[in-house]
Amino acid sequence: MRDSRRARLILGVLLTAALIILTVDHRTGDSSPLRPLRAAGSYLFGTAEQLSGGVVRPVTTFVQAILAAPAAREHIEALKEENAKLRAGLLTGKLDAERAKELQRLLGLAGTGGYKVVPGNVIARRGQPGFEEAVQIDVGTNDGVRPEMTVLNGDGLVGRVLHASSRTSTVVLLSDPASAVGARLEKGKEIGVVHGVGENGRLVQFRLLDSTAPLSRGGRIVSFGSQHGRPYVPGVPIGVIERVESTPGELTRVAYARPYADLTALDVVGVVVEPPRRDPRDAVLPPKEGSR
Amino acid sequence: MIGGVSVVLALLAQVMLVNRVPLPAGGAPDLVLLAVVGAALGRGAAPGAVLGFFAGLLVDVMPPSAHLVGQYAFVLALVGYVAGRGAGGPVTTVVLCVLMAPLLAAAVGGLISDPRVTMSTLTEQVPVTVVYTLVVSPILVWLTAWGRQARFST
Repeated sequence: MRDSRRARLILGVLLTAALIILTVDHRTGDSSPLRPLRAAGSYLFGTAEQLSGGVVRPVTTFVQAILAAPAAREHIEALKEENAKLRAGLLTGKLDAERAKELQRLLGLAGTGGYKVVPGNVIARRGQPGFEEAVQIDVGTNDGVRPEMTVLNGDGLVGRVLHASSRTSTVVLLSDPASAVGARLEKGKEIGVVHGVGENGRLVQFRLLDSTAPLSRGGRIVSFGSQHGRPYVPGVPIGVIERVESTPGELTRVAYARPYADLTALDVVGVVVEPPRRDPRDAVLPPKEGSR
Repeated sequence: MIGGVSVVLALLAQVMLVNRVPLPAGGAPDLVLLAVVGAALGRGAAPGAVLGFFAGLLVDVMPPSAHLVGQYAFVLALVGYVAGRGAGGPVTTVVLCVLMAPLLAAAVGGLISDPRVTMSTLTEQVPVTVVYTLVVSPILVWLTAWGRQARFST
């Protein structure tokens, strides 16, 4: 009985402590006194994640390859060809070449848009425990990365930098339910907001501010850009509209879009350290195809 | 000591390996929760709560994190307490803890009006996580409770 009462007391103290920490962090926001703690954790574990990244990478690649197999059965024709290439690639160490190609495409995109990017690798990902969608990348303030910078890869927009420590930084993905990106339909002037809806980044929600504007399947979305290009630079491809919700009587129209960047299997990403001098408009969009 | 190490290892494995693999239905097992439950099982309520609290703090500061510090400290302290105290046999304790943790986390998130916690989180994301975690639970709890079976087999 005495032991149980003591345990309950300890639990009470701990829960109160947790609530106090939570409240302090919530109320103080950016000037939080817990910032040093977070920075220390970021430094310590960021370094650990960076060091073991090389060991873990082949395992992740392997498991991802296995899990992607059943879904690709539909594209069996294309897959046969690709499979042979991949198998050869595994043997001859072509995986590195693939990564180099990804990097080159990233630089290509950056070149078309006139962005200045710092390339980095994803070293860790959050999803569990927690409800956020965030990744850790292996570039930090030493490489010129600052909080509130745009992150993209060779296909399109990925997210924005939330915290940056000296050698690693945390990126909140487009698919995080708390993220909102100003967006524009291609060619038109219609603007809207892209929200994450979780779902591991398979879809994002696009809310068009004008309910009378035409919105159809296959429409492509680019980022609208923020003041001084922070946190989002203009003209980065976001995604293709997959289905349009009918929302009669509402002030905005809602559509769901598939992001260009594959947010479930991110590897090489780039942080835009310098926004373009002028908005590239739709110049960066990939060539239009049937479904992708 | 062994409990602490296993929690850190589980956390590293979680963010570096498990979360990066796109599993079907878009979820992942929560290894950290299982490590806390496994380490707290049969240790008693007070050590369980303390272990859970510090594991939670670690979860909150481990990069990448975009939520507030203290959220998981609260959740895992309570989970550690329940796991240490025990509710019926070890099996019912583990199941109870696995069910309790995501709901508690969602409740704390709702309390500070986290935009990530909505009805669809509860109906779509939480069940997937619970199922994955329950599937993995026998292996991980057995691993973390290594060498202490004799103590909680009663």
